[in-house]
Amino acid sequence: MLRNTRASGAVWAALLIALAMVVAACGVGQQGPSQGGGGGGGPNKICMMPKLVGIPYFNASEQGANEAAKELDVDLVYDGPTEAKAALQSQMIEQFIQQQCDAITVAANDPNALAPAMKKAGNAGIATGAWDADVASDARDVFVNQATFQAIGYELVDVMAKQTGGKGEFLVVTGSLTAPNQVAWLKEMRERMKDKYPEMSIASVEPGEEDLQLGIDITKNYLRANPDTAGVFGITSVALPGAAEAVQQIGRAGEVPVTGLSTPNEMKPYVESGTVKEFVLWNPVDLGYLAVHVANAQVDGNLPTSGTFKAGRLGEVKMLAEDEVLLGPPIVFSKENIDQYDF
Amino acid sequence: MSEARAPTERGDGEALRRFLVRPEAPALAFLAVLLVAFTLANDRFLTASNLESIVDSVAVLGVVALAVNQVILCGEIDISTGSMLGLCAIAAGAVSLSTGGILLPLLTGVAVGILAGALNGALVTLGRIPAIIVTLGMLYALRGVILLVTGGTWITGVPAATRVMGTGKVLGISIPVIILFGLFLVMELVNRHSTWGRNVFAVGGNRVAARLAGLPVNRVRFMAFTLVGAFVGIASLIYVGRAGSVQTNTGVGLELQAVAAVVIGGTSISGGRGSALAALTGAVLIGVILNGLILLGVPGIWQDAVLGGLILLAVATDVLRRRLVGDKA
Amino acid sequence: MSAIATTVRRLRISREIVLLGVLIALVIVMTLLDPLFLSLTTLLNTSRFFVEVGLMALGMTLIIITGGIDLSVGSNLALVSVAIGLSFAAGLPLPLAIVFGLVMGVAAGLFNGLFITLLDLHPLVVTLGTLALFQGLAYGVSGARAVSDFPGWFAYFGQAYLGPIPGQLFIFVVAVAVVWLILSRTTFGRYVYAIGNNEEAARFSGVPIRKVKLALYSGIGLLVGMAAVIYTSRVYTARGDSGVGLELDVISAVVLGGASIYGGSGTIGGTVLGVLIIATLRNGLILAGVPSTWQLFVLGVLLLAAVFINEFFRRGEE
Repeated sequence: MLRNTRASGAVWAALLIALAMVVAACGVGQQGPSQGGGGGGGPNKICMMPKLVGIPYFNASEQGANEAAKELDVDLVYDGPTEAKAALQSQMIEQFIQQQCDAITVAANDPNALAPAMKKAGNAGIATGAWDADVASDARDVFVNQATFQAIGYELVDVMAKQTGGKGEFLVVTGSLTAPNQVAWLKEMRERMKDKYPEMSIASVEPGEEDLQLGIDITKNYLRANPDTAGVFGITSVALPGAAEAVQQIGRAGEVPVTGLSTPNEMKPYVESGTVKEFVLWNPVDLGYLAVHVANAQVDGNLPTSGTFKAGRLGEVKMLAEDEVLLGPPIVFSKENIDQYDF
Repeated sequence: MSEARAPTERGDGEALRRFLVRPEAPALAFLAVLLVAFTLANDRFLTASNLESIVDSVAVLGVVALAVNQVILCGEIDISTGSMLGLCAIAAGAVSLSTGGILLPLLTGVAVGILAGALNGALVTLGRIPAIIVTLGMLYALRGVILLVTGGTWITGVPAATRVMGTGKVLGISIPVIILFGLFLVMELVNRHSTWGRNVFAVGGNRVAARLAGLPVNRVRFMAFTLVGAFVGIASLIYVGRAGSVQTNTGVGLELQAVAAVVIGGTSISGGRGSALAALTGAVLIGVILNGLILLGVPGIWQDAVLGGLILLAVATDVLRRRLVGDKA
Repeated sequence: MSAIATTVRRLRISREIVLLGVLIALVIVMTLLDPLFLSLTTLLNTSRFFVEVGLMALGMTLIIITGGIDLSVGSNLALVSVAIGLSFAAGLPLPLAIVFGLVMGVAAGLFNGLFITLLDLHPLVVTLGTLALFQGLAYGVSGARAVSDFPGWFAYFGQAYLGPIPGQLFIFVVAVAVVWLILSRTTFGRYVYAIGNNEEAARFSGVPIRKVKLALYSGIGLLVGMAAVIYTSRVYTARGDSGVGLELDVISAVVLGGASIYGGSGTIGGTVLGVLIIATLRNGLILAGVPSTWQLFVLGVLLLAAVFINEFFRRGEE
């Protein structure tokens, strides 16, 4: 015991020394960093954050972002947390601020949790933006919207209606029951059914928790219990392949139509086997490309507040509001066009 | 599941006592109660196809739990299996995409698993680092390796020939179910009749005594960790077969479920007491509960709470039961 | 190998000095990678992120010294965060909601402690169970929704600055002083070491083992509660997935700081150094532009290396 007490005395001495050294080092350090970072001259430094790294969807965005960065001669930093967690993102935004980025644009895991950090970035004179998933609107200057909720919801129902003759009861597999974009899509889907296809209705909404195996099991169980189900929507990039796989496994491919939102590479096998005829998504490569163009225009101060905005190879894109840019209508993927995309 | 209920039907005192002394007794009784309860609550529950789909859905968990069971019997723990399964599945999937077939992907998955498991074992035995730290570190390091080697891309469109271990059927019984029960029988035999199996119990029961008795304590533990790798490799092929694609988050959370299955089933967390039947019972119990929750319409976000509550309930019952029957082990 | 250990011992280089050397070396490497790293604002900003892990690591140090472990700290943080958010959303005034959250943290810790002491269970399995239980409760009760319409003053706990110094740094310094005093200057502190060195012997010499353990697990609950208040304030949102996985950072920091996972040894000074090293690494890797996909790998390997070196030193000392 005595030894321990004495040891901790030594530690405190050591800590004091460390503190002294750090403070001394800071004195040196503060004169140092003038050579780093953006500010005057040089290319714009744009820091871009996906919801998480390590999934194909955001890899595709990165590809588009890099393309735009090369085109515009922009210094691009593309990094995000390895798990889709808002707290990790807010920490990284602070680090982006320290890295003296000229613009920060994020795909938010939680609109409010990122607000303090984004406001801080704005106060530090950094151009702020959101893409893919919005931050609280008072915490960023502009949002790059991939497709309106209405466009997505309506397109999904239209694609399904073509295959079932505009009637039947449907299962929807989501990611979670509370994800804001999924809730909004569901609302638009219900509205479209009510207005245009009164004989179609959503019988059940089941959360697949972005877990492929769970999505498969849920769909199988549901279809066994409700064999009259007319079709299945999978409205996340994990839920859709899960639903398609389940329908294939219980041997009802072609008989129970499946559609939803996912990436072409993930869906290729199911489109080729005919389990999924058509599905919907925007182009995440273009989304990343547009986000960098918008951020760059923000830094240069030439982003319009209405009308259209010229974004490289995308041509003129629409300003949906004074602080919102729209990528365009969603893409419907099918056997005919799926080979043109690689993401 | 027939063996799950058979013992409870015996009524007389001595048989009941002998049953109570068995480590997996509370879990088996609990499983029986649940089966009855879910059947009464929902008439779709107790159908042959639903029961098969339950066992089918816990095949991955069950196979992993059978091996983790051996590690826990040794008085150690392994919480790296989630990332290990992901890595094996990625490796097996990648090989399958270039070669097709089942044999090469299986060998790859098992080889990667054995390598990872052996690394765990070597760090624990030669490095003398506590298993909880080794496998916690490996859980994160291996997930990192997955992200690094895949660069975040998923493996999709695994050919049908490779998927036979997940989706195939033999004599009308699904292959995952056959693999699970086959490996269970193997482990029961190993534990009863092989030297290593008996040594596992000796090492877990009292390591010092085992060492003094001249047992190769380190080799026994090393083998247990390596076995986990091999079984995770086999399980990864079931996973790849069932899902048809592999994502970078494959297996997240499995490490917790596997330990939970073993402990809920009745194997003592401090080692030396338990059985392969305990691991199997625990895995099936988890499957029944998760399936029952879906049928009863309980939202998926409560799953973790139910799982955690069950672990606590299981370990508490174990202690109380042992006090009741006066078993001090 | 053992020759090195003997030399090291002869030179009277304590583990803490080695850690200090590692920390300084890291700071130098990070500065070389990115000159921005070594500026006052960066260093102070870094401190905002380690306070939460640091608070929990203080309690974890004492628990690990007794030979125990608490895997549930990250989940408990989520539970407290959700408790504060939901009780506030239900109409409780925020100060009371914060008190309620702290009480919840202590209650969760006490729950662990009661399970461990009354049933004589290994803390590993109990806290593995509560890791899932607390997480699930936080998710389930909140319905995976987030609460974030807090009044402006709530930001003081996690976002305020006194001059250039983040407010929570003061809380951390006070907590370090208090826990250090408890561990090194009180009978309670001696009991903690005694239990870790030999629980049987401690029992025979009259150490109230159950009471000490109950106090320790409740105590870490309080520290987790404090960390949760700061965390919730910092991200300004109460969510069920707050703090998930933080247990790795906390345990890594303590073990890196020299506490033996087998119990009996460990110091607060070592833990503080461990926390600083991990924070420097995490922050520095991002600043240096190392993709975050590498971080999981680096942290996992670092944890293994730290324990390995620890055991190596210990064998040298024996």
